Amino acid sequence: GALQKMATSNLIDESVLDELLQDISRALLQADVNVKQVTDLRRNVKAAVDFEDLASGVNRRKVIQNAVLSELLKIVDPGVKPFAPRKGKANVIMFVGLQGSGKTTTCSKFAHYYQRKGWKTALVCADTFRAGAFDQLKQNATKARIPYYGSYTETDPVKLAMEGVDYFKSEGFEIIIVDTSGRHKQEESLFEEMKQVEDAVSPDDVVFIMDSSIGQAAFEQASAFKSRVRVGSIIVTKLDGHAKGGGALAAVAATKSPIIFMGTGEHLQEFEVFESKSFVRRLLGMGDIKGLMDL
Amino acid sequence: LLSFVSGFVVGKTLEASDVEPALHKLKEGLMVKNVARDIADKLCESVQKSLIGKKMESFTTVNSFVKAALDEALTKVLTPKQSVDILAEIKSVRQKGRPYAIVFCGVNGVGKSTTLSKVAYWLVQNNLKVLIAACDTFRSGAVEQLHVHAENLGLQVYDKGYGKDAAAIAKDAVRYGGEGGYDVVLIDTAGRMQGNEPLMRSLVKLVSLNNPDKVLFVGEALVGNDAVDQLTEFNKKLVDFSTLSTPRVIDGIVLTKFDTIDDKVGAAVSMVYTTGQPIVFVGTGQTYNDLRRCNVESLVDSLLK
Ligand SMILES: Nc1nc2c(ncn2[C@@H]2O[C@H](COP(=O)(O)OP(=O)(O)OP(=O)(O)O)[C@@H](O)[C@H]2O)c(=O)[nH]1
Ligand SMILES: Nc1nc2c(ncn2[C@@H]2O[C@H](COP(=O)(O)OP(=O)(O)OP(=O)(O)O)[C@@H](O)[C@H]2O)c(=O)[nH]1
Ligand SMILES: [Mg+2]
Ligand SMILES: [Mg+2]
Repeated sequence: GALQKMATSNLIDESVLDELLQDISRALLQADVNVKQVTDLRRNVKAAVDFEDLASGVNRRKVIQNAVLSELLKIVDPGVKPFAPRKGKANVIMFVGLQGSGKTTTCSKFAHYYQRKGWKTALVCADTFRAGAFDQLKQNATKARIPYYGSYTETDPVKLAMEGVDYFKSEGFEIIIVDTSGRHKQEESLFEEMKQVEDAVSPDDVVFIMDSSIGQAAFEQASAFKSRVRVGSIIVTKLDGHAKGGGALAAVAATKSPIIFMGTGEHLQEFEVFESKSFVRRLLGMGDIKGLMDL
Repeated sequence: LLSFVSGFVVGKTLEASDVEPALHKLKEGLMVKNVARDIADKLCESVQKSLIGKKMESFTTVNSFVKAALDEALTKVLTPKQSVDILAEIKSVRQKGRPYAIVFCGVNGVGKSTTLSKVAYWLVQNNLKVLIAACDTFRSGAVEQLHVHAENLGLQVYDKGYGKDAAAIAKDAVRYGGEGGYDVVLIDTAGRMQGNEPLMRSLVKLVSLNNPDKVLFVGEALVGNDAVDQLTEFNKKLVDFSTLSTPRVIDGIVLTKFDTIDDKVGAAVSMVYTTGQPIVFVGTGQTYNDLRRCNVESLVDSLLK
């Protein structure tokens, strides 16, 4: 990749930097990073590298590498700590996102993850819109042996969310996950409904679920969600596919929220804690960053 | 006044350096509209080639000259080589005394099952007898999801529950459809990642065993650069893993979630450019009515706006 080229070139002058930045920009655009973010990154790296001040050779190279990587890591890390659930207390966590992004699947993975760590977890189905939504959650929850709440007949998601959360609170559950319908910013009534569910259950955290294959619409959609509910975390799904997941950078910027987990398959266990360095590495389509940092 | 005049190059023979700046801007515009990078590159490259050596004849700026050329190129890419008339195809297949079969495939969560239901609704409105085949035997709730739609539409689902071989169920459903005098069998399949070999093999098995009348690829308008890879790989695997003497490929595209992207319509270009296949339907919402045809002119307008 791009950084490889730099490693083999002895003279790092401005034209080499420009060429390198162009290569990196191309890689990032292909990885679905927001076009404007790519332009900004390019400018920021150029500003961070001052040729006059630099000594020759190895030093310069290091400075450029670090400038690129730290810019990318800066975008991935919004500088806020994610919500951490507290033991012995009811932590209500609401899942929101676009249609088909993986909310229902990820709900069970999330519950399973905490359950294995000894937490008392439960699932509430507040999706009364999607055909088969309750069956889907129910079957997943049953496989994972997680208690669930939902209804085939109730059509009001706000009522269901409230009832479910109240029930599990009264039963002393520690992590109560509320699954909601998929929605998009263009349909106001759906956003209003999301707001009402939030008001009804007062979640401790709202998790925005994002499909890793999303393209340039990521920023607008994520900011629209953030503007209506208190999104505090992001989970990126379907990273077992070929998509690089650059839309996640836009989602982080738009919501000022950290990415906490990633989905890596359809199965319950295919769920990992997010690791920003390896994610950035994937974005650039290159080998181990650590190795490069140590060059 | 001078700077105004210098924008025009009447009668000038265009060189690469004349068109590059304009094309660069337009290319970035395409990517902002969510055209995959590779496709934006290729499109602009071919436009550049077609322009070099051309004489600008009328009073026009290089920018608008280049833009017009790109408009033309995009229109050419998006305009179907031949028109698709599914209702006519169904009619002719029915005359052979068997039902018309459509397979819906694609990656996870793009809207295959919802689109299938919308198509079912449209066919019913056209007085056709429709059977739904529940061949996603993997994802939780997939079978029940189809039952809910079928109930809403007054249709029947052919299902064998979960965990069974999808290809065999599709085969049984088509036979059942034939015996029951159905006009169309709509086959739902599980979502799968294009790089997941076992799952791709099982899809190709289903297609090979049933040799359906149409293989529709369902892709969402939200998808970015992965659109190219999805379609390339689905097509490649349909050929590589096929057991048919003439392997099938994707016959058409359904572009879903068109209501979620405003004017960022570029995925349409990525998908059609990659396959050369037409967009047969566009999904514009979550109700049965939200199924449209593709309007090439307005797509191109959105892309160049
Ligand atoms: N390959 C893969 N598939 C996933 C992953 N997460 C979810 N999926 C699949 O994506 C599809 C959609 O997932 P759902 O959980 O139904 O998505 P949702 O956001 O709840 O959808 P709506 O409720 O309709 O908005 C399903 O086929 C899931 O199996 C993942 O990490 N990898
Ligand atoms: N806004 C919008 N949502 C859509 C459209 N088409 C489908 N959806 C929604 O997208 C989500 C996923 O749809 P499904 O039909 O279950 O997708 P699928 O491809 O069958 O999913 P899997 O079988 O899990 O791979 C649902 O919430 C649908 O309502 C569309 O055109 N517009
Ligand atoms: Mg769901
Ligand atoms: Mg489906």
